[in-house]
Amino acid sequence: MIDLFLHAAILMTTPILLAAIGGLVNRIGGIVNLGLESMMLAGALVAVEVSSATGSVSLALVAAAAIGALVGLAMTLVITRLRANEIIVGLGFSVAVAGLVRFLLKSAYGVSGTYSPPGVAMLPRIDIPVLDSVPILGAVFSRQDPLTWLAWALVPVVGFALARTRWGLRLRATGAAETTVRAVGLAPLTIRDASTVFAGALAGLAGAHLSIGVVGLFNEGITGGRGFIALAAFYFGRSSPARTALGALLFGFFDAAQIRLQGHGVPAELVQTLPYIIVIVVLTGLGVADRRAARERAL
Amino acid sequence: MTRAFSSAPLGRALQAAAPFVLAVAIGAIVLAATGHEPLSVYRLMIVEAFGDERRIAATLTAATPLLLTGLAAAIAFRAGIFNVGAEGCFYLGGMAAAIVGYALSDWPGALSIPLALLAASLVGGVWLIGPGLLRARFGVDEVVTTLMLNFIAIDLTSWLVNGPLLARGSANSATPPIGASAELPRLLPPSTLHLGFLISLALVIGYGFWSRISVAGFRSRLVGLNPRFSRAVGIEPMRVFLSMMVASGVIGGLAGGIHTLGLVHRFVAGFSPGYGFTGVAIALLARNSAIGVALAAILFGALSSAGANIQLFSNVPIEIVEILQGAVMIFAVAQLGFGWARRRAAA
Repeated sequence: MIDLFLHAAILMTTPILLAAIGGLVNRIGGIVNLGLESMMLAGALVAVEVSSATGSVSLALVAAAAIGALVGLAMTLVITRLRANEIIVGLGFSVAVAGLVRFLLKSAYGVSGTYSPPGVAMLPRIDIPVLDSVPILGAVFSRQDPLTWLAWALVPVVGFALARTRWGLRLRATGAAETTVRAVGLAPLTIRDASTVFAGALAGLAGAHLSIGVVGLFNEGITGGRGFIALAAFYFGRSSPARTALGALLFGFFDAAQIRLQGHGVPAELVQTLPYIIVIVVLTGLGVADRRAARERAL
Repeated sequence: MTRAFSSAPLGRALQAAAPFVLAVAIGAIVLAATGHEPLSVYRLMIVEAFGDERRIAATLTAATPLLLTGLAAAIAFRAGIFNVGAEGCFYLGGMAAAIVGYALSDWPGALSIPLALLAASLVGGVWLIGPGLLRARFGVDEVVTTLMLNFIAIDLTSWLVNGPLLARGSANSATPPIGASAELPRLLPPSTLHLGFLISLALVIGYGFWSRISVAGFRSRLVGLNPRFSRAVGIEPMRVFLSMMVASGVIGGLAGGIHTLGLVHRFVAGFSPGYGFTGVAIALLARNSAIGVALAAILFGALSSAGANIQLFSNVPIEIVEILQGAVMIFAVAQLGFGWARRRAAA
């Protein structure tokens, strides 16, 4: 029972974590990405299509990352080159891509809502021989898919890259002091674009995890607002990948819990509001702290 | 004041139309790529939106909620508040009006209608006090808080309609219908055009006068253009932020209330297909002007009303409308960026 729950919670964390790490990197580079949902949706559809057409999971993942990156590229160019407000452009992409996906479902596949082609190859599950039979550890570590391992591997890798590498420094400088970056002869807009493309690729993989990792088909509501939950996770995590992962894990647990709580009379709809409430609480806390710091500086 | 310094009206009109033109071009590419004939689809859409009296009435019915969500966005944007929370207010207002309209089924319409709309407005206004205060007191980004509140409002109403307020014996998620007396009267039976259209249009016109000739309207514009200057001349920007946020919520809630009393006559799951977000696109396209809001709302109303019909008659999926809406949002903020008001005022 507890094993099943833990396993489900880790499974539900993966797409949120992947998208949240992308969003985190993007935000450090200077863009709050509200288009993650649209990139996940595109990735989920393309993964199903490629997986069914070729039978190859790796090709499906590459294609999902590529389409996510492509949507990210389109979004970032509008933001950085046409100097558009990132929030509205992100919302606009969420609306337009959701419309485009449903349009294509009807127009190209002649289905409405759910697209379930035959022969979708699913993400493999990785068994860990001895651990598998250990009660709690087995549920957590064994029979997880490669994207879950990738997501968790990215947490320390991105943390290290941001803190200790040249690229991390350049990215942080782009977000914090654009003019300085330009003054030393680098192109801040290009660095920022790269961070959005990275976020798009990860969000595309997050979508693929939902479609070929969990259910094996595409549904227009498959992302279910997880792009915005990812936003909640990286707001919760501020600039730290580890804290972001903690936030994603928390929301993954909520996601798994609401399915179980439903049977016990706790309405799923109310559990679903928790991530959004947490974002508001975190933002309020940050705002209050900022004001207090500013007042102390003024004294 | 603005008029003396702005460029020729024709140039401004072209500038305002540019995002829509670009969106139509994107839509044409999507249509052509999926084997449809863009020109004939667009021609069919114009006919379906404005072809005869019945179709015009359908277009205006579809424009009714958008007039108010567009107004809710515009009144906030104009004061420099980036409120994207009209969607949540719309849901809550719709729910409040459905509850009052059902509870007061036996009352005469002259009482139950104003009370239901009052409840809808109050709920919408109260809902946005939080983000308004957070922005005014602590500088908390209102875009994210109002966006999050949308999701919370949608989940909250969805819980109500699936649990405590589910109509007895109803298979799908819906509240019991409101009393017949609480329904807003139809203007042109058999079309569904209702009194709510005139109420909404009157409010947009009222906003036009308020924003141009009243002291409060001038103050709110000044705060939107330059909060520091406003403070220097004795206007408290924080008070304006809060009051415009609440005003925006009141209008968003009212929009939902009118939608319940005028068209749906109950609250159902999925009450709004994104009217609040379309309102954001409308306000951006209209550059917060009253005439612009009215025109853009009718334009988007025409799109959704024609979209439903062309799906029936020509196998073009209705989602082409969403693609156009999203593209308008994207292009409405492109190129000129978010600082357009400031730059234009400085020119």
